Amino acid sequence: MPRVYDLCARIQNGFRSRLQTIAIPETKMNLAICSVLYREGFLSSVTRGNHVGPDAQYTPTTNENVATRRLWLSLKYKDNMPTLNQLSVISKPSKKVTFSVNELKSITSGRRAKFIKPLQPGEIAVVNTNRGVLELQEAIKKNVGGEMLCRAS
Amino acid sequence: MLAFQRLLARPLGAAASKTSPAAYACCATRLYATTDSNGARFRQAGLTKENVPRLDKVDSILDFTELSKGKTLDQPKLFPAHRPTEAVMNTVTEIVDTPLTTAEQARLLKKTLVLKRVVNMNGKGKQPSMYALVVVGNGKGLAGYGEGKDEEPSRAIFKATNRAIKNLRFFDRYDDRTISMDIEHKFHATKLELRSRPPGFGCRANHYIHEICRCIGIQDLSGKVRGSRKPMNVIKATFEAFSNQKMPQDIAKMRGKKLADVQSVYYGSH
Repeated sequence: MPRVYDLCARIQNGFRSRLQTIAIPETKMNLAICSVLYREGFLSSVTRGNHVGPDAQYTPTTNENVATRRLWLSLKYKDNMPTLNQLSVISKPSKKVTFSVNELKSITSGRRAKFIKPLQPGEIAVVNTNRGVLELQEAIKKNVGGEMLCRAS
Repeated sequence: MLAFQRLLARPLGAAASKTSPAAYACCATRLYATTDSNGARFRQAGLTKENVPRLDKVDSILDFTELSKGKTLDQPKLFPAHRPTEAVMNTVTEIVDTPLTTAEQARLLKKTLVLKRVVNMNGKGKQPSMYALVVVGNGKGLAGYGEGKDEEPSRAIFKATNRAIKNLRFFDRYDDRTISMDIEHKFHATKLELRSRPPGFGCRANHYIHEICRCIGIQDLSGKVRGSRKPMNVIKATFEAFSNQKMPQDIAKMRGKKLADVQSVYYGSH
């Protein structure tokens, strides 16, 4: 199954080419990260769909059509500028980055933790926790730590 | 006028009117220092609405025109007292295309950061000239830079200053003292890293960046120039970096979020 960097690359390239919609492989992790980005306002919409286009009606995923299933993201632009400039991976298979709640708090307050640069105003980080894939601030609210997947700015 | 207003405030206004120069109405524009019955002295006691001096009329005694024209024993001066205006180099004689007045232009912070000798090779030989880069700012967000070249260094600086004033633009600051986010910018071979810092930190960066921040009015900054440190490019890189800043308000607008500045409420330098 595709790793996080695949999603990051597709979304970044889509924004750079000023595309309206992108199709990405439909997996639970992809859907989770995209829903975080949608909630934060980077994407206009996240819909299930075909390899051709988004679904007009609800189509259940079956063994026959699973190969063609995609997630369609519609990208957001304002004043000819994309909402998302950079989506970079933090935790890599070669070097996993897992944070406790205190380390998450220090990242938000401008101090680095474990060689990860602090968050700038307007930056988002996606964390994979026991309570699901959450945005960093949501994870702090729920008092859970986890693996830092990616950061978006 | 001021004396008139002061007089209005005094309770002895009645006394003043007693000594109003109704008697002097015949010699209308003359105002003398007067005393009232109590012995208090007013400098311009008689200044009422009727006795306001008519300044468009020339008075024979009070207005001095051409004091002793040719009545002195000295020889008339052969050379004029003032140099002709064309020869004066220091004043801003050129009209610069800005909405700022000449007084405001004179009050701007001007700093010559680069002054070097450049040479143009021609068929006739080497043609040296001076290149100047001047940074101009008002310390409250307005700043700009200008380059000028001329044979003489002073004239090159003058040209550069005028261009800098023409290129003035407004830079957004956070809390009027620092930048809103950390900036990483690359310009040609110069890579800049600029970081926002808390109040009282000071501007700790390359000396060219320090001068530019002084002109803009940024008091707290930390930065590092990596790669080429050529002065001209460092200055241009800093200006580009500050111009291409993303403000938090714009980001919030793009994403449809509400912006709440917690730091300025708790730690702001107001």
